[in-house]
Amino acid sequence: MAIEGADIIKAAAFLGAGISMGLGAIGPGVGEGMVAAKACEAIGKNPKEAGLLTRTMLVGQAVSESTGIYSLVIALLLLFVV
Amino acid sequence: MMEWEPQIWVRAAAFFGGGLCIGLGAIGAAIGEGYTASVANESMSRNPGLSNVVLKDMLVGQAVAESAAIFALVVAMILLFSSFSNPGWLTAAAIMGAALSMGFGAIGAGIGSGFPAGEACRGAVRQPAVANKLMTNMLIGAAVCQTPSIFALVVSFILLYTDFSSMPVWPAWAALVGAGLATGLAAIGSGLGGGTTAQASVEGIARRPESASSVTIVMLLGQAVVQSPAIFGLLISFILLFGTYQPSSELAPAMALLAAGLCVGFGAIGPAIGGGEVGRNGVRWVARNPGAGQVITRIMLVGMAVSQSTVIYAMVISLVLIYVV
Amino acid sequence: MVFNLDVILMTWIAIVLLILLGIFSVRKRSLVPHSIQVLGELFVRQFASLTEDALDKELGSKYAPMITALFMFLLVSNWLGAIPHMSEPTKDLNTPLSLGLMGFVIAHYAGIKAKGFMGYAREYFQPFPFMMPLNLIGEIAKVISVSFRLFGNIMGGAIIVLVVSHLIFSLILPPFLVAFFSLFIGTIQAFVFTMLTIVYIAVQVK
Repeated sequence: MAIEGADIIKAAAFLGAGISMGLGAIGPGVGEGMVAAKACEAIGKNPKEAGLLTRTMLVGQAVSESTGIYSLVIALLLLFVV
Repeated sequence: MMEWEPQIWVRAAAFFGGGLCIGLGAIGAAIGEGYTASVANESMSRNPGLSNVVLKDMLVGQAVAESAAIFALVVAMILLFSSFSNPGWLTAAAIMGAALSMGFGAIGAGIGSGFPAGEACRGAVRQPAVANKLMTNMLIGAAVCQTPSIFALVVSFILLYTDFSSMPVWPAWAALVGAGLATGLAAIGSGLGGGTTAQASVEGIARRPESASSVTIVMLLGQAVVQSPAIFGLLISFILLFGTYQPSSELAPAMALLAAGLCVGFGAIGPAIGGGEVGRNGVRWVARNPGAGQVITRIMLVGMAVSQSTVIYAMVISLVLIYVV
Repeated sequence: MVFNLDVILMTWIAIVLLILLGIFSVRKRSLVPHSIQVLGELFVRQFASLTEDALDKELGSKYAPMITALFMFLLVSNWLGAIPHMSEPTKDLNTPLSLGLMGFVIAHYAGIKAKGFMGYAREYFQPFPFMMPLNLIGEIAKVISVSFRLFGNIMGGAIIVLVVSHLIFSLILPPFLVAFFSLFIGTIQAFVFTMLTIVYIAVQVK
């Protein structure tokens, strides 16, 4: 079986895309979970502020998700552009 | 080297896979049971008079935590002793996929179900009057936390007992290995996360036995959402297993299928562990502050759902790798 | 163009069931409610208060009917799979994706209305102007995540029920699997989808 250079590059790009999104998803997942865990605790201590705490939680999660979005962008670039 | 018959490769894959399967699969249960035993010892030292109750809790809990490793043992035994009829190159790939799926898949559930078992020992000393309630709740929590390893077992059996000989060897081998990796890796996080959620519910019932029924319900809600990443992994596995592939001699299509499995597999680990943390705190505070139970449950579900977005991106990339490129 | 007639049919069955529920729950209304009226009131009151908690009183009463309808449609859709010879319309990616897009459009419309177009557009250049493309992708990713979450769970559940039932020759287990995946997970995911739609509107408005 003859494997050409272009084929190897394409294969590497596919593997790279999969691994970049896969590994990149781990960190934000754990981090966002910690944000939400603390939000649950805070609401348990002070249920009156539930609205404010929910909004703060969502903003915090959106920020910690940004690295996941970077991975998504890189994966899409590897798949379609490079 | 390459002139060897396929059956030699199949035997080799079966022996290698069998070792890999039980080797990986034994990691989780050992850690989980060790945790249970350590907490049991600690609890007994606080109140040696209750050592009988604690011992019973510990043994029952360890038996549940062991089940994931037993699944891995079963798959390893099948690999060692079955004679594969009609062996082809794809049989070897399917064997590797099955071994990876069950091996990785047993890690999370083994560690995870050790947490509620340990907490039940601790609770039995703190509140001996509700020891039975704690045991029931621990059993429910630990059983639900085994679900991801059962997914892995199902995928292993499908890989072992389905006839793939009609598929083109290249690139289907990558799809079979990828299918095993997707479910196996994805089960790690969900097993762990389900365990931490169950741990908090046992703790909560020990603190406030009268809230037992609502705490158990919140625990089940949390565990169900924590299992979504494992379900995504399973979905990608099935798509890979039952897809139709064009025969090709190029490297790229095969790598795309393998990468699809790896992507959703790795991607599911983090969100599920994070979801487990949310579940732990959500259930804990529902037990401590039952008046705010509804609000906390709602936030817990939303928080888990949002922290799962990255595994969904991983699933989308996997689908793109399978269908688009 | 391909029409997926099965999905369209199942969607219409869900819609008809909901219309029937609507008709029966408002017919012969009384102060002491009959059983179907209780059911209708339960949904409406629960989701009205949920929406008002997340948004404020005025906006809440405006969006509550849409939110209630969304939840009831998703619930009936997810439960349809429990009936033999029927399948969940949410199992086809098109249904969740269109519902997700609907939520996206409504949330952004609410955002533009609340903050004015300039105020709304300025959000994309926070915290730094060059983050604009990533913020844009982040917004689109919300639609993807909300719709693929529903699709993945329902489709995954349906496949598990099918494959496991086949593996064990449909002995004993299938009803429990259906109860877990169709009814339990279906309810949770319908609730999660609805909550996220409310939350996305709230984030845009505030």
